Amino acid sequence: MANVLVTVRLSNAQPSMEEAARHLKVSETELDPNFGVVLIDPENQTYAVMVNERVAGDAASAEGAAGPFSNPRIEPTGPPEP
Amino acid sequence: MRVLVQLRPRSASADALAAAAPEAMPSVQRMLSELQVDTGYGSAEIPDLLSPGVGSRALDRPLAFSSAPEESARLVRGEIPDDPAAISSLLARPEVSGVFGDPLIQTCLVCPGSPPVGDDTDVARQLDVAALAAEGLDGAGVPLAILDTGINLAHLNGRGRTPTLDAAGSFSPSGTTTTAGQHAVGHGTMCAYDAGIAAPAAILLDHAVLLSTASGPSVMSGLLSDAILSYSQLLGFLRSQTRRALVVSNSWGMFDPAWDFPPGHPGNYSHNPAHPFNIIVASLESAGADILFAAGNCGRDCPDGRCAFGASPPICGANSHPRVLSVAGVDTTQARVGYSSQGPGVLSAQKPDISAFTHFQGSLALGDTDGGTSAACPVAAGVVTAIRTKFSALSISPDQLRSLVFKTAVDLGMTGFDEDHGWGLIDPKPLAAAVAKAAATTVHAPPFRGRNLRHPPLTVGDDVHLWQERMVQRGSTLGVDGKYGPQSKQACTQFQQLQSLQPDGIVGPVTWAASWEAR
Repeated sequence: MANVLVTVRLSNAQPSMEEAARHLKVSETELDPNFGVVLIDPENQTYAVMVNERVAGDAASAEGAAGPFSNPRIEPTGPPEP
Repeated sequence: MRVLVQLRPRSASADALAAAAPEAMPSVQRMLSELQVDTGYGSAEIPDLLSPGVGSRALDRPLAFSSAPEESARLVRGEIPDDPAAISSLLARPEVSGVFGDPLIQTCLVCPGSPPVGDDTDVARQLDVAALAAEGLDGAGVPLAILDTGINLAHLNGRGRTPTLDAAGSFSPSGTTTTAGQHAVGHGTMCAYDAGIAAPAAILLDHAVLLSTASGPSVMSGLLSDAILSYSQLLGFLRSQTRRALVVSNSWGMFDPAWDFPPGHPGNYSHNPAHPFNIIVASLESAGADILFAAGNCGRDCPDGRCAFGASPPICGANSHPRVLSVAGVDTTQARVGYSSQGPGVLSAQKPDISAFTHFQGSLALGDTDGGTSAACPVAAGVVTAIRTKFSALSISPDQLRSLVFKTAVDLGMTGFDEDHGWGLIDPKPLAAAVAKAAATTVHAPPFRGRNLRHPPLTVGDDVHLWQERMVQRGSTLGVDGKYGPQSKQACTQFQQLQSLQPDGIVGPVTWAASWEAR
C-alpha cells in the first residue's frame, strides 16, 4: 500500500519517529523510515511524515495534524517534447 | 477553399475597383459566380511587371514595374468549392489572369523540435557577463542548488567549466546508485552548465531529486516528497551558514493534473498553499533563499506533448508560488519561445515573473539544444547567484531582490507586466546597480566579539550591552544591563523564530549579524 503525506505540529525540536507516531496515534511501523520526520515550517514547528495510506485518515485527525496530501510525480521542464 | 483571384490590368472590373466605384464589388461578384467574394478584404493593387515575364529564376534579376494605377492588376479574395472545375471556370473568364492559393501565415515561433537559436556565448554577451565579472559578481562563495536529475562534473569540465561542488550539501533520493557530481550526463548537467553562464564560480549543491526510484512515466520522474526532503535539507544548510545566501534552481514541475488530487480537495498540491511542499518553499524563502522555478513548457502556441492541463492554468503549484521567481523563456533574439507557459498562475495570478534566455546551443548534455523553460530558469538563477556574490540576504532580502528584478527587467511584449513575458527579460547590469544602491542603506552589524551570548551560565559584558541595545531599537522591551539572563534568552529566541533562524536562544555570529541587518 502506498504512503501518503501528513503534516503535524510537534512541540519538540528534532522529534523522533517514535514521538511523531505517538502523537499521530499510529504505530511507528506505519511511518516511512526513509522519509523520516521532516521539518517544513520552523516558525510553526510543523513537520511532514509519510504514513501508510491505510491509517492516514486516522493520523490526519490527530491534534495539530493535516492531510493526507498528494504526492504527485514531477518531471523536468525541457527541452520540450513535440 | 480560400483563393486570390487576379484581374487583368485595364479590365472593366480592375478599373472599377481602382476607382473605388460603389458598384465595383457587386459587379465583380456577379461576374465571378464561382467565387464567394470576401467584400471585407476589398482589393489589392499589384503593379504590372514591365520586365520579361516572371519565370522560376526571374525574381533574382533586376525588375521594372509600372507605377500607373491603370496598368495594375487587382486582387480580390474569396471562397470557392474544393473542385478543380471551379478554378478552371474562373481562369476561363477573360478578365481573370490568375487564381492563387491563400495560405495561412504565422509568426516563426520556436517550438519543440526547432533548432537552437544562437549559443551560450550569445547568452553571455547579452547578459554582459564580462562586466559582472569585472565587478567581482561571478557567484564565488555562493551556494547554488540545482534540483534536478543530478550533475556530471566531468562533462562540465569537458565543456571548459570548473565549478566547485559541495558534496556534503548535496542530496540524492533513497536508492540512488550514483553520487553527487557523478550522475549520468543529462538534464541536471544542462541546468548546472546554464547557471554557470553568469555564475561560473558558484558552489554547486547537487540535489538529484528527479532520480527517484519510484515508478513513473519516464526515467526522469521524481516524486514531490523527494523535493520536500531536499528542501528540508536546504533549510538546515542555510540556517547553518554564517553568510546568508542560497539560490535554488528548479527546472521541473507537474505536467498532468491527474497526478494530483483535484483542486478544492484539501490534499491537492496545484492550488493549495497549505500543501507541505508549498509551505516549505515559503519557509526556505523566509530563511533567506532565492528560489526560482521554470514556468513550464505548456504555452498555448506549441505546448510540450506531455502537457495535459487543458483549459486549466499550467503555471501551478510551487511553479506559481508568490515567493519564487517563475521564469519564462525567450530565445537569443528576445522572442518568446512558443512553448513557454503563459499566465495567469494559480497560487499567485501574476505569473510568470520574468523571462530569461533558452533554446540555445550550450551544454551539449541533451543534444544540440539547451531548451525548455528548464534552461531559462538556471540562466536566471545564475544571474541571481552572481548578484549574491556581494549582497547576502541580510542586506537584500529575497523579496526585495525580486522587486528589483522586476523593476530593472527589459520590457518585452505589452508595456509593463504581461502573461507571456512577466516583467520582461532579466537584465543583470541595472539589477546589480539597483541592488548596490539598496544595500547601501542597510545597517551593518558591528564585528562579532568571538563568544556566544548564552544562558546559563549568565553571560556578562559590553557585547551583551550592545546587543541588548540593538534589540530595544528593534522594539524589544528587554532591559539593557549587560547581563544575558533568562529575559535576554527569551528575547533572542523570539527574534530567531521571527527570522527563521535556529531558535536556540544563543546569540552566535549568525544571530548577531541578523540582529542589525535583518529586515
